[in-house]
Parts: sequence; C-alpha cells; structure tokens
Amino acid sequence: MSRSEQPDVDRDPVIEAYKAGVDRTLIRERLARTPAERVDDLVALARFAEELRKAGIAARRAR
Amino acid sequence: MTDFAGLIRALVDGEVACILVGGVAATIHGSARLTRDVDVVYSRKPENIRRVVAALAPFEPYLRGVPRGLPFRWDEATIVRGLNFTLTTTIGDIDLLGEIVGGGTFDDLRTNARPVRVFDRELPCLTLPVLIRVKRAAGRPRDLEVVAELEAIAEEIDRTDGRG
Repeated sequence: MSRSEQPDVDRDPVIEAYKAGVDRTLIRERLARTPAERVDDLVALARFAEELRKAGIAARRAR
Repeated sequence: MTDFAGLIRALVDGEVACILVGGVAATIHGSARLTRDVDVVYSRKPENIRRVVAALAPFEPYLRGVPRGLPFRWDEATIVRGLNFTLTTTIGDIDLLGEIVGGGTFDDLRTNARPVRVFDRELPCLTLPVLIRVKRAAGRPRDLEVVAELEAIAEEIDRTDGRG
C-alpha cells in the first residue's frame, strides 16, 4: 500500500498525539508475521486475557 | 471468550457475503490490540440474509446486553426489519452490520476489500486505508487510539516499501 492510497484527511492533533506513543517495534514484529499468524496471536491473547479474568474472579472469591 | 475461528468458519462455510471490518480486520493488518468480537458488513440481499440466518442459527444469536426473555427471533424477518445487529452467540460476540459510517454498505465496500486467509478459510477484509477512514468517521473517543495505531502501521508499511 502506498501513501497515496491512504485517506486524504487532515492530520488530527489528537491522533498525532496518540501516535507518538505507539510502539513501532511491536508493529514491525506484527508486520513480519502473516495475516493468519496475526489472527492466531489474537486468539492466544484472548485466551490469556480470559485466564487472567478467571484468576481475578478466583482471587476475589478467596478473600 | 469469542471463538473467532468458529464464527468466521460459520460465515464462510455458510457462503455468507460479508466483509471483515473492525478489530479482527485491524489485527489482520498488524494491530496488536485485543478485540472481543467479530465485526462484519454483510450484504442485505434476500438470499444472503437467508444465509446469515442459517449460518448463525446453530449458535443461538441474541441481542448483546439485552436481558434474556425478550421476544427476539433470529429469523429473516428480523434481519430485514433491522440493519445493524450487535449479537452474542454461544461461541462469542459478533456485530452484523448492514452499513457503517464512512464506508456504507457491503456493495459500497466490496471494491475496498481484499481476500485474506484465516482459520483455513478465505474471506474479504477491508483494506487498511479504508479501515482507517471508517474508524475516523466513527469518531468515537476509543477509536482515536486505534486510528493512531493503524496510521502508524500504514507508515511502517510505506517505510518498508520505500526501502525495498
């Protein structure tokens, strides 16, 4: 995709401010993977988040 | 937890004409954000509405965030009467969108989608520039960070292409 294909919109200062905090290293790692691998990573992350959620519930009940 | 593979396979195997948008599309383009549902823009043609109903029926779709017991019927008449549906199913959440702000309908978007292969299935996914456009158009505060990440991804792709 070239820059010319991107939406022709004014730069939003709020978005630009957020962009300064984006982890470019992480993006480069993600882009090195195939789309299917990226979705597999999403599934793994969702499983991890679910495990954390369950652990949080268990911890609150144990108090 | 949403069974992303289950929902996507149900749609593709059911020959539903739809385009991946939203968080899963962002993931495909390189976003590292966690999304909890599958968002698709679906064709509103009668035969496709039949396919949508048939494809998701085994998973008992119901309106997300709405108390159980309301007279919601998952059938063609319901889909015809509505447009955008935020649903929960037995295998996770799915947003069925007849139209999206900044993007329009399935027919408006189909030329702005490219096939991707995930979970051993192929389906159209909104292109990165158009995904950015619709996220910007949605204008929700929570989308601003997403747009920032997507634009950073586009810049990284450009940088890599320029170097190549």
